[in-house]
Amino acid sequence: MTQIILLCISAVSLCFGFIGLAFAKSSKTANGDDKKAKKRKRLSIALTLFGGWLLIGTLVSMFSAKKAGLKIEFALFSDRISIFGFSIAKTVVISFCITGTVLILGTVFRLFVFPKFSPDDPKGFQNVIEIAVEAMENFAKNSLLDYSGQLAPYMFTLAVYMIFSAFTELFGLRAPTSDLTSTFAMGLITFFLINYYGIKKKGVAGRIKGMAKPTPLVFPMKILSDVAVPVSLACRLFGNMLGGMIVMDLLKSVLGGYAVGIPPVAGLYFNLFHPAIQTYIFIILSMTFINEAIE
Amino acid sequence: MNALGAGLAMLTALGAGFGMCLATAKAVEAVARQPEASGKINSILLLGCALAESTAIYAFVVALVLAVK
Repeated sequence: MTQIILLCISAVSLCFGFIGLAFAKSSKTANGDDKKAKKRKRLSIALTLFGGWLLIGTLVSMFSAKKAGLKIEFALFSDRISIFGFSIAKTVVISFCITGTVLILGTVFRLFVFPKFSPDDPKGFQNVIEIAVEAMENFAKNSLLDYSGQLAPYMFTLAVYMIFSAFTELFGLRAPTSDLTSTFAMGLITFFLINYYGIKKKGVAGRIKGMAKPTPLVFPMKILSDVAVPVSLACRLFGNMLGGMIVMDLLKSVLGGYAVGIPPVAGLYFNLFHPAIQTYIFIILSMTFINEAIE
Repeated sequence: MNALGAGLAMLTALGAGFGMCLATAKAVEAVARQPEASGKINSILLLGCALAESTAIYAFVVALVLAVK
């Protein structure tokens, strides 16, 4: 019964919207009240969108078994599937796919696109690549000092991997960055880099001496805070990504069949902007910690 | 009981929110005083906000561990 009423409302609003749009088109030649016409046009567009959304949503929820309501189920760790007898988490498979995609894209770009670039007059796609690489290099030069040449490519790789893994969430898959294992691996790599470059720059004795900088009393504290670095990096990224995923799941489950136009708009924030900010923070924090070790 | 614990754990968000508000207020003051340094202040603010936010994120992870059975 309610569905019939909703269908009627959507049909009426669609009709009004189309009539308004037709009026706006026909009255375009006779320019009368400009402001009023603009307002009317905007109103009719909104009415059309609302009617279309209601119509599609009602039809979908009529014919699908998915009912709207607060019924959310998520797991802290992703489901596992077995491939060739090995039990592998789904996010690992997805991250292999991402790595493969990035490798193939990189090879194709290196072999077929980059040789066509001209160093004198950059245009189009070359500009984008140059801006990204230059920004990363300047970024790294400030905090990584002498080692920026070695570490800037790694940081760029990390950024590309994390951005690509954010894209997978748009396809309805679970992003690898919302799995604790993947983020912890990245945190461990940062931990290894901190110690490797700290020891390379100052030697083992210098690194230990640097830990007892103000007084030897703070030595255990410094050890503890060094060990906490990968844990905090991993938990930060994991929590943020999982939070975004849960918010999107909640939105979808609340809307049920009406999840037609709204989740993509919210996804612009939760699946694109938010991961980009987190990528930036992860890279900045890694660089800051490495800078602390080599300074 | 688990849900109650999860809810209590999320009270940590209070502290994170307060810390972020302090940082942002100071950053706004700094930009108002020296608009030409806004780029540098922005990056420092983002870093500080990330660090302040991390307590809330830890609480969130703890709450999830408690809530998801």
